[in-house]
Amino acid sequence: MLKKITWFAIIFGGLSLALFYFFINPNEVNYLPECPLYFTTGIYCPGCGSQRATHQLLNFNFFGVLQQNVLFFISLLILGYHLVVTGINAFLKKDFYNYMYHPKTPLVILTIIVIFWILRNIPYYPFNLLAPN
Amino acid sequence: MNQQPPKNYLIESILVTIFCCMPFGIVGIVNAAQVNTKFEFGDYEGALKASKEAQKWMTWGIVSSLIIGLFYLVFVFTLGGLAMMGDF
Repeated sequence: MLKKITWFAIIFGGLSLALFYFFINPNEVNYLPECPLYFTTGIYCPGCGSQRATHQLLNFNFFGVLQQNVLFFISLLILGYHLVVTGINAFLKKDFYNYMYHPKTPLVILTIIVIFWILRNIPYYPFNLLAPN
Repeated sequence: MNQQPPKNYLIESILVTIFCCMPFGIVGIVNAAQVNTKFEFGDYEGALKASKEAQKWMTWGIVSSLIIGLFYLVFVFTLGGLAMMGDF
């Protein structure tokens, strides 16, 4: 019973958030929360631009997603890969290797995040293309 | 050794990093790395421990994002209400 309520809450919350970010462009309103790191220090974090990127994604504007946050796009690809591999293994009873469990993968991803974080804070062309706008 | 590796919460940690709480997500990714390397070296117990740790940090990331969101909602509605009443 409690599990059912939890799932209902998750699905209901997710759907209402999706509807909200489908219709509301975070660039055009001022009541949405800002990233705490950007708000206090003016430094972009690796996730800055995710609200705007979600809006662009829900409107199927993939170039807009890339403009706001390249890492958001990369993580979508990784998430898709993981879901496809685990889905095939679970439903078709296959045993494909999932690279999420390779010893090097988390370190590669961590390196990508840190390098992306540094680069997007350099305020000169072409690095400022990585910053959200 | 045809044991399955314990869940490493790598995807969840990446999502936490991007959507909310970068510090929690980074710790989660580091723990995911430990899950994979320890399992590769046959240290199943250690991998399981790192998996539990990764899950803990992921949970804290999600919980803190919910708390921050809740506080933000209260803040916005209070300010909006005050503004509407003309006190602000």
